[in-house]
Amino acid sequence: MGTDVSRNQPRHQIRVAMTIRDLRLRVRALLSPRKVERELDDELAFHIECETQKLMASGLSAAAARQRARARFGPVPLAADQCRDKRGISFFETLVRDVSFALRTLRRAPLVAVTVVATIALGLGVVTVAFTFFNAFFFQVDAVRNPGELFSVERLERPDSSSEVPFSRAEYEAIRRDTDVFTDVAADRPSFPTRIDGRAAVGMFVSGNFFEVLGVTATRGRTLTEADNEAGGRAVVVLSHEGWTQLFAADPAVIGRQLVLNGHPYAVAGVMPEGFRGLRQQPPHYWAPLALLEQFRPAETRDQGWVEVIGRLKPDTSPGAAAAALSAWASAQPGIRKPENGIVHVILRESRGVIAEHRGEAMAVFAPILFAFGLILMIGCANVANLLLARGLLRNREIGVRLSLGATRWRIVRQLLTENLVLALIAAALAFLVSRALLAGSIHLVTSILPPEFTEPTDSAGLTIPPGDWRVWTFLVGGAVLSTVMFGLLPALHSTRLELVRAMRGEVTKDARPSRVRQMLIGSQVTASALLLVCAAVFLRSTYSSATAEVGLRTDDTLVVRRITESVRPAMVRAIKDHPSIVSVAASWPDPLHGGVSRDATVGAATLEVGCKLVSPEYFDLLGINVLRGRLFAADERSPAAGAIVVSDAVARRFWPNGDPLGQTIRLGAASGGATEAEGEPQIPAQVYTVIGVVRDVRSALKMFDFGYAGVYLPTTAEQAQTSFIVRVHGDPDAIRPTLLDAFMKVDPALGEIASMRMLAGLEGAILEVFFWIAVILSSLALALTISGLFSVLSYLVEQRRREIGVRMALGATPRDIMRLVLSQSMRPIAVGVVVGGALAAVTAIVLLATPLAEMIGTLVHPFDPLAYASSLSVIIATCLVAALLPARRAAHINPIATLRAD
Amino acid sequence: MPRHTIPDILPGTLDLLILRTLQTDPMHGWAISERIQQISQDVLQINQGSLYPALHRLEHQGWIEAEWRTSELGRRAKYYRLTTTGRRQLTVEAGEWERMSAAINRVIKFA
Repeated sequence: MGTDVSRNQPRHQIRVAMTIRDLRLRVRALLSPRKVERELDDELAFHIECETQKLMASGLSAAAARQRARARFGPVPLAADQCRDKRGISFFETLVRDVSFALRTLRRAPLVAVTVVATIALGLGVVTVAFTFFNAFFFQVDAVRNPGELFSVERLERPDSSSEVPFSRAEYEAIRRDTDVFTDVAADRPSFPTRIDGRAAVGMFVSGNFFEVLGVTATRGRTLTEADNEAGGRAVVVLSHEGWTQLFAADPAVIGRQLVLNGHPYAVAGVMPEGFRGLRQQPPHYWAPLALLEQFRPAETRDQGWVEVIGRLKPDTSPGAAAAALSAWASAQPGIRKPENGIVHVILRESRGVIAEHRGEAMAVFAPILFAFGLILMIGCANVANLLLARGLLRNREIGVRLSLGATRWRIVRQLLTENLVLALIAAALAFLVSRALLAGSIHLVTSILPPEFTEPTDSAGLTIPPGDWRVWTFLVGGAVLSTVMFGLLPALHSTRLELVRAMRGEVTKDARPSRVRQMLIGSQVTASALLLVCAAVFLRSTYSSATAEVGLRTDDTLVVRRITESVRPAMVRAIKDHPSIVSVAASWPDPLHGGVSRDATVGAATLEVGCKLVSPEYFDLLGINVLRGRLFAADERSPAAGAIVVSDAVARRFWPNGDPLGQTIRLGAASGGATEAEGEPQIPAQVYTVIGVVRDVRSALKMFDFGYAGVYLPTTAEQAQTSFIVRVHGDPDAIRPTLLDAFMKVDPALGEIASMRMLAGLEGAILEVFFWIAVILSSLALALTISGLFSVLSYLVEQRRREIGVRMALGATPRDIMRLVLSQSMRPIAVGVVVGGALAAVTAIVLLATPLAEMIGTLVHPFDPLAYASSLSVIIATCLVAALLPARRAAHINPIATLRAD
Repeated sequence: MPRHTIPDILPGTLDLLILRTLQTDPMHGWAISERIQQISQDVLQINQGSLYPALHRLEHQGWIEAEWRTSELGRRAKYYRLTTTGRRQLTVEAGEWERMSAAINRVIKFA
């Protein structure tokens, strides 16, 4: 057992006790610095006074005594400074000093400051765009009371399955009445397309207590109440802030105004506050009483229709226990729909208006996007770092002087970093504006590329710019600090590593020439640009192949009418047939967006899974599917029961490679196990069918939609429930669409959708085009930053090596040699960057293809497209060469004699 | 007799000396240094430049507290007084010092 001698020594340094007393003293020093300073002066002066008195008492004259006392005390300011250090607020004082020094330095070199701020603001703004969406999807909880208590109640088909069986309104009422885990339970019915005064709008049908359960009040008028939902419902709506501004131009006198909602008169009862989204990610335009749902969807009766159930959990109940209690209750309750084994599985999901399901997977998808946007910031930082390195050389002398005057290296690094942080914070404020502008621009881009049918509101009040809340600001400040480290630390460390004497003489020491760091920075910039440009090229190629893809169906003058209300089908059929613009009509099930319904087809011993489609006789001619052999359906063959089928060429060749398919028979199997047919859907009876004709294959080259592909066609008619209509029109289908919409809405106010086939076929390409433009914008930003970085670094280096180049030329080097010298210097980092960037892109593709998304990505884009790689990498090499060529030419034209004389 | 400024002897002992000096009465800085010099019969002399930083540090650590009073000279002076935690710290440090000096003595005598 022994005592560590050295333990005694640093004890007081280790114990930086943060006692209350300590804190009080620090706060006092911060708040009234003058008083504390005066006290310190008084204390030290008193000491000298005492000493003087003592010396005078021993016989010295007053003046001599004072002088001696002062001498004995030593330098007063030093002692005072040490006392201040102990006070522990020197951090702030130094900070203030550093910041004011930084501002002075920046004013002296405004061009550098502006360049740095602009570069960082751009990079930070771009990444903030991505974060703003990220924030809106994952963190921006809806503005309701205690959102943590709100859960949606979901009934699973099986405990291990993710597919849900929604509750009917009757079941919701039972849950509300008979269970006790919630303080109250509300219901809403997600939106379907509606029109207010002819304009597309999205609404929700909600129970009377919806707003009360969520704990929100209206900013104007009132919210919906139980009374609105009683006795068939009162025809009123409550508008969201978005609905109010988009549909009523934020008219302050909107309360009580009448509006026509899908042909029914309604009155506006209230307007909800901005930021309230009704527990969805994007707000609807309006909320209407649930009791009025049948006006729009007659099929959705109290027992047939479905609603989403949202409960506010009692504060002392856990979600798990509540789900167990609800499951037990539902299994025992006679009025609740149950699976075959009679056990109902109920789960609770957080419902706060942010992504709650598959959160991890959704974040995994988002992370690479955030990273791609972050690359711009990184490239910008590399540029700024390069700039600061060059500037560090200019400031060598200043830093050298300060170091030799006794400043520690840490002190100077800290001051340089403060300087950078000031710039980065200014940039962060600008970056917010940049991100808002970019957000507005990107929404404009998306709405102008995607067809209007796609972006017009279908399940929310359309694309809106997500608000920038405190999280966005925190992100910006964090980003500013991070980028300060990224662009500032390296130059700061470099410029303080000096040989003092030579630095003060103004000589650039070899040691401090950061050529390797520069090469690394350029290399990483080229890498990032290459990665982004390869992505852009891959998307471009995919967009092109999608745009030129053969759809296999006639799309120039055809439209699809989908999801009509079944009760008005006869009137609708008549309206379509009588419309003057419509040349011909066909019906199909499933609609042309989807392939066939899968069934097992058996001929002899061979069984094949085929897609089956119910079509009316006009279908083939209308969509341009030619008959190869045999005939099409006759007028009396109106349903599958007639036993006649038409097969595609591929199916015919598969079953009868040599023989004649006409007159042969095929047995179609029953629906496979899991898929149960919804009520009212057409049936495909399991029986033997006779082949009456063969048509050409519909082979869609598009990947996202299974356009019209089917192996077996069975007859049906437009009168058959659930079928969709395909119409051929005179003239431009997109121009005629609004007229058709107006005409048919009169027949069916709840009409689902009319879309031109051309738009649907172009959708895939349009989505890819959006990705392409994002990648193009990012990669061109990246490339522009990289080129400007490369150019300035090389120009700077040429300037630095002027004398050396002069000597070389004087000794006989030709301009060609000099150009080769300069170019070879830049080629290495470019080559490394191109190779690494290309490899990174390939690795990203491999990683992405290993995720569950692989199937979709793999068929939609070609992540290893050699042409995309080759072209984008050549673009990089070419542009970098051009950027390098100018400084190289300048070097080659150096006049050796003038250069040598200049020294 | 040679004079020593405190940090020359053993670092860390200044804290102990200040705390011990303040054990009985509150004192201002000058009185503390005078007292130490007096009691040590001029062997120990405090470097004035390090006395005040040490006092401020101890104050921040909560071992002593300060109060402005009128001094014997009729001027206002900052008087330091031992706190309860300071008293505890003094016991600890004094004990530590005893052990150290005893150990060193033993080494000097018997090694």
